[in-house]
Amino acid sequence: MHDVAIVGAGPAGMAGALQLARAGLSVVVIDEQARAGGQIFRRPPEEFGVRHGQYRPYGWARDLIEDFEEHPLIETRFRQTVFGILRDPEGQISLAVSDGQRGTRIKARRVLLATGAYDMPVAFPGWTLPGVMTAGAVQSLLKSQKLLAGRQIVVAGSHPIQLILAAQLLEAGADLAAIALARDLPGFLEMARTLPAIPGNVSIFTEALRAMAVIARHRVPLLRRTLISAVEQTGEGPLRISLRKVDAQWRPVGTAREFEADVLALGYGFTPSTELARQAGCALSWHSAGGGWTVQHDDNFRTGVQEIFVAGEQTGVAGAGRAHAEGLVAGQAIAHSLGVGADPLEVNRAQALLKSSERFAGVMQTMFEPNRTALADLSHHSATVICRCEEITSGQLEDALTCNPFLTSASAAKLECRTGMGVCQGRYCEGTVAARIAMHHNTQIAQAGHFNAHLPVKPVPLGAYGDLDH
Amino acid sequence: MANFHRLPVARGRPVRFTFEGAPVDSFAGETLATALLAAQVGAFGHTREGNPRLPFCNMGTCFDCAVQVDGRGLVRACLTDVVEGMVVNMQEIK
Ligand SMILES: Cc1cc2nc3c(=O)[nH]c(=O)nc-3n(C[C@H](O)[C@H](O)[C@H](O)COP(=O)(O)OP(=O)(O)OC[C@H]3O[C@@H](n4cnc5c(N)ncnc54)[C@H](O)[C@@H]3O)c2cc1C
Repeated sequence: MHDVAIVGAGPAGMAGALQLARAGLSVVVIDEQARAGGQIFRRPPEEFGVRHGQYRPYGWARDLIEDFEEHPLIETRFRQTVFGILRDPEGQISLAVSDGQRGTRIKARRVLLATGAYDMPVAFPGWTLPGVMTAGAVQSLLKSQKLLAGRQIVVAGSHPIQLILAAQLLEAGADLAAIALARDLPGFLEMARTLPAIPGNVSIFTEALRAMAVIARHRVPLLRRTLISAVEQTGEGPLRISLRKVDAQWRPVGTAREFEADVLALGYGFTPSTELARQAGCALSWHSAGGGWTVQHDDNFRTGVQEIFVAGEQTGVAGAGRAHAEGLVAGQAIAHSLGVGADPLEVNRAQALLKSSERFAGVMQTMFEPNRTALADLSHHSATVICRCEEITSGQLEDALTCNPFLTSASAAKLECRTGMGVCQGRYCEGTVAARIAMHHNTQIAQAGHFNAHLPVKPVPLGAYGDLDH
Repeated sequence: MANFHRLPVARGRPVRFTFEGAPVDSFAGETLATALLAAQVGAFGHTREGNPRLPFCNMGTCFDCAVQVDGRGLVRACLTDVVEGMVVNMQEIK
């Protein structure tokens, strides 16, 4: 039995693990990826002969990763998936873990969920075509696998990370046909203006501004107030990507312009990965600017389930600095809950980081909140796929809504028309389904609720279950 | 038509495996997703309705990159490294 089991080795999980290990507690960290770092610090594999990747502008990343990898009290289990949280009849909590073939049960006195976030899915005609990818996919292939996705690429989205991605692609030799940003550039200028107000937390903004210079130098069309509307492909030909001018509310004005590319990289925001928290019974709350459904917690990052704590993007997507700070504070709180006090200097440092990152996160979130209604509007055409796995279309969802006036929740829609029943377990349709229900009934998205998560939260071989009994 | 290509950096030693019976050359440290994309594979599998799928998220959440590896189904290519002699097939009906 470990003192603490941590799910996720991103900035939040690593920071938490180090606080706990330094307090003398035994920690096990499980992550599906091959190495520590999480989404933001994805780095090349060891076989490529390098230890580190590019962490700019996060100066603290290198030390964090090295300290984490070298601490003797931290046990790591990479390439393993936590597929559920269990409680045995004696009340002992444990993680159900699969390595892809076998299962194991990891018991711990406390659990820290630091599972991060994924690119927010947006359904529109053609979003399931091969070559349409999330910005995170295109970026991680480049950063960690040194694979450039396509010669000709279109980048479309609304988050400042799109600019950073565009610059990274250009510097790697890609040809960008266009960069389409749903918002106006003033958003980004405002961003520049807020910089001096938030010392120490300017990283992502400064990177975005640096990226704009690279984009200008390469003379890539930077289309403002322009939203994706559809993608088509004939045979093995290029993707034909329609981009449409929108107003300040992201409503279409004028006709679409078509661009050809091999790959379309989409980035309208991030969705917190809350499935383990849901399955374990932690309460969620709706926070649109924070990415949608976030996990409820107290000032110590403890959830309603008393052994379970959360840190990082699941409390609201707010960037690497914030995830790091939350990991520190959560780690200290967990140590405290196990009767181990922390060094007062460390506590002060963590609290100070948390406070400054909070202001930054607030600015960032309100400035870049996606317009969920406008995005869900892109899915209205009846043939548009909403659930990628089960291939449930907009028309099927609309029929279900029309035939069942009492169908007012995402969960009910799942039962009624199978959307969300596939292998991704609803991660890629929940947001669209909820927004469409809200539009249909003229209510708020939050009222449509969220899907429930069950064991296994990610599909695992049947054998992995059987092993849990031992 | 996708057009993925490797940047010229140091990679691991050569690794050969098969996809749908045909040999694929790759390098140690690469994921199956990278190796298959670099080989310009047009589909990692198909949906119930026969539509092709390529990786979408590359971070383990979407399952669009799922393939069959040595007879095991629903293996995420983005989280699985290439291994010499691995037998990889499309994941039909995800
Ligand atoms: C593609 C992408 C690019 C981003 N770029 C930036 C950026 O430039 N600047 C910025 O400030 N923020 C960026 N973000 C936001 C980013 O998520 C955070 O800044 C930061 O990585 C969050 O840290 P975290 O520790 O909360 O989660 P993450 O870094 O996402 O780490 C979570 C880890 O948990 C693992 N995990 C999740 N579920 C399971 C499970 N069930 N079993 C096993 N392991 C699991 C994942 O594999 C992952 O490694 C980006 C996010 C993404 C997705």
